[in-house]
Amino acid sequence: MAKKLGFLVNIERCIGCHACEISCKSFYQLEPNMRRRRVQELPEDVVGTPVRAFVSTACNHCDDPACKKACPVGAYTKREDGIVVHNQDLCIGCQMCGKACPYSVPMFNPVKKKMDKCSMCYDRLDIGQLPICVEKCPLEAIQIVDYNEVQPSNAVREIPTFADTSITHPTTHFILPKPGKQSRRF
Amino acid sequence: MLTENFSRRTFLKGSASLSALLGLGVASSQAPKGLIPKAQAKTNGKVEQFYNACPRNCYDTCSIVTTVEDGRITFITGNEKNTYTKGRLCVKGNTYPRVVYSPDRIKYPMRQKGRGSGNWERISWDEAYTIIAKKILDIKKEYGSTLPICLNKYSGNFNILNYATEGMLSSIGYTTRAQGTPCDPAGSDAQGFDMGAPYNNDPEQFLDADYIILWGANPSWTSAHSMYFIEQAKERGTKLVVIDPLITQTASKADEYIQVKASTDGALALGMIRYILDHHLYDQNWVNQNSIGFNDFFSYVKKNITVEWAAEKTGVPKPVIERIAREYATAKPANIWIGFGMQRHVNGGAMVRAIDALAAITGNIGKKGGGVNYIGEETWGFNYYTMGFGAPEGSGGEADRYVSMNNFGAQVLDANDPPIKMMWIACRNPMAQDPEPNVVKKAFDQMDLIVTADLYMNKTVEYSDIVLPVTTPFESVGVNVSYWHYWMNVNEQAIKPLYETKSDLEIAMGLSKKLNQLKPGSCTFPVTGDPLEWVEKELNDDIKALFNVKSWDDLRKNGGTAKANESITVAWKDLKFRTPSGKYEFYSKTAAEYGHHPLPVFTEEYKAPSEYPIRCMSPHWKFGIHSQFQHQDWLMAIQAHPFIEIHPDLAKKKSIRDQDIVKIINETGYMTLPAKITKMVPADTVVMYEGWWKGVNYTENFTVKALQEDMGEHLKGQRGIAFHDNFVNIEKA
Repeated sequence: MAKKLGFLVNIERCIGCHACEISCKSFYQLEPNMRRRRVQELPEDVVGTPVRAFVSTACNHCDDPACKKACPVGAYTKREDGIVVHNQDLCIGCQMCGKACPYSVPMFNPVKKKMDKCSMCYDRLDIGQLPICVEKCPLEAIQIVDYNEVQPSNAVREIPTFADTSITHPTTHFILPKPGKQSRRF
Repeated sequence: MLTENFSRRTFLKGSASLSALLGLGVASSQAPKGLIPKAQAKTNGKVEQFYNACPRNCYDTCSIVTTVEDGRITFITGNEKNTYTKGRLCVKGNTYPRVVYSPDRIKYPMRQKGRGSGNWERISWDEAYTIIAKKILDIKKEYGSTLPICLNKYSGNFNILNYATEGMLSSIGYTTRAQGTPCDPAGSDAQGFDMGAPYNNDPEQFLDADYIILWGANPSWTSAHSMYFIEQAKERGTKLVVIDPLITQTASKADEYIQVKASTDGALALGMIRYILDHHLYDQNWVNQNSIGFNDFFSYVKKNITVEWAAEKTGVPKPVIERIAREYATAKPANIWIGFGMQRHVNGGAMVRAIDALAAITGNIGKKGGGVNYIGEETWGFNYYTMGFGAPEGSGGEADRYVSMNNFGAQVLDANDPPIKMMWIACRNPMAQDPEPNVVKKAFDQMDLIVTADLYMNKTVEYSDIVLPVTTPFESVGVNVSYWHYWMNVNEQAIKPLYETKSDLEIAMGLSKKLNQLKPGSCTFPVTGDPLEWVEKELNDDIKALFNVKSWDDLRKNGGTAKANESITVAWKDLKFRTPSGKYEFYSKTAAEYGHHPLPVFTEEYKAPSEYPIRCMSPHWKFGIHSQFQHQDWLMAIQAHPFIEIHPDLAKKKSIRDQDIVKIINETGYMTLPAKITKMVPADTVVMYEGWWKGVNYTENFTVKALQEDMGEHLKGQRGIAFHDNFVNIEKA
């Protein structure tokens, strides 16, 4: 059976440090404003008691990728293992994919005049290496899971701030943080 | 510079990114001067890897692997051979390629016509050395000594070879030195009185702990690699308790978070101790065998402390204090990590002594996975060869003179006989990092010559006469150890220095050469030398044995990183304390000699003045270590400006909404900052974070006064600064 690779982001472990995002930027030598992975703050009451909570997302390598549908030149392909690949050589920089993506993943690179997005480091995966964000997270909070093999029981597909998953069926799953006990003065 | 007319207007003008936030037009000021795209960089493909060491003032002091292709750095990451770094860097370390190739690097020596004018002109190294050397010789002639020359150097780069700057100053004669540390002094003195020295367990031992209390420490932001071990321990069932006035990122990860009223942590520890004594949960054998003064302390607690009182004082409910005390006393081993922030109060040292006592009575000291962990210096036994040349013959004066680093401006202004006329600043940014920056500026105004060696045009460089461009860690050699973990990391030269940059060691040799040309015998520092030979000279037999390495070069060839012998990684394992009695001293005569109570007693916190009732804390920020890193465009792209955190109740009272510009006022003047409304801070406290945001006229220390901590003279020469006893008022600007 074909694979269905997707990110599993453990928000319980995530400390919102952005090392995933910056190690990706460093490894791929992206322009300062280009962000293939983004760490975003979640609402403070996400677990009930007030906490600082963050979620790290990249391309969601959707089952039904809107970027691929919107692209007029066929720059997008979905591999057998589920990875959505953007071919920058074919890209004409029309930005239709960025507008179509419910998660605003493809970003316009003003220098190259092309779109840019996370490739799940498929060239690294193909030679048995992990994607950079997975390998470099100081808390080991990001994993790659073959969702055709495993359905982690503690994982969910929807979190606050994340767009409706019924549109493109993203493969990204999340482990939600557990609320701790708090003794607050106010 | 920051002045009292530091108004909203100037703030906005200084911040294109903030303008964007306020909808005043999006300026894409961050010109995409990225690195060479990977495809192009790979053309001729000579790929090499080098070991580097992150030399910043950081617990984690990482071992780094640097990939260089055709002479250019293409990736920088952690060294997998180091079990603490684990092949990964924090967010700041991941920006290192940009640190090296930043368009903001200072490229050449420059002279400024008119301090603060921005009217810089490029000069040659020879010209720079000549101007500086002539001034040194003129001062020596006029005052009969080099005491009017003041060095202010500290923690921007802890490479052992960077002590060449201190060595160079010692080699011209006796000089004035900024002494002390703004970092850890009160807590270090406290541990010095109790145990003879601050000494922490290996942080990899968090995995061996049954119970962890992070007391005023926020490793999620300041020690991500420790946080990994803590999170792993938590997942294995170790309970994580965080005690902090703020809901920090680490508090957000705790099994239990306890919000203590700032600067009352000592009362909380003493309340826990009272409960433990009352319920006979203490380790009678441990205190009998390993301590002195326990009975005096026991009597003090019975007479003066109740759990009810502690609850009232700290804002922590009595049942919580009792439960945490019982859990802590019965877990074996239980681990406490005291953060530096917790002791940045007028009673910081006393609070650390109380927490130490809690660990001691429960027998948690000297245990693997336990301990009362604060800081350590067991691995720092290098030769400091660069500092050993001594004053030349005929130097005036008898010894160096000290001014406090923690009240630098005022003490420089007060120094007479002789006055201070020249300043050398390296690895420091006092205009941003010192309290009372306006007083520091006045002290700068008194100087005939200010020389600053730095990487970037920061606030201190902006107010200097000469700037000397320095190398990043990747352009020079060195060796680093940590004050927290137990690894030694080599630092190889990965690339040729960019532009005309030089290391502090090369600068020392260059200046010595010029001084000796102008006046033979005026400087004892060597005028030539190979940095590879210099770094080898740092390793003596003891340190080689401790790390089981033959030489720096041997370590370079074998993984670039080595861990110290296990015999020292459990603090006080042999229970031989370095106090006068050789025991743990609940009763410390040394403390009394320094004017403190001999026992770990309760000491009152600083009280808010009525006109400035709001506490303003300025903790470390996740994208910076002091004024380093946050100004880089990779990080500016994530967080473009500083902000002030305000509780919704306080914000409502002051009619402040999220992202409103807020005026922060106290006796020193006022500054303005956008608000972030958040429950992460209590309603009597606001928080603004430490850092330098490029293009924003900001220092978190603008309203901080040079208020002293209670301790520091014993081990650090000077008391610290009560950074977190800063009281302000706020209003909508």
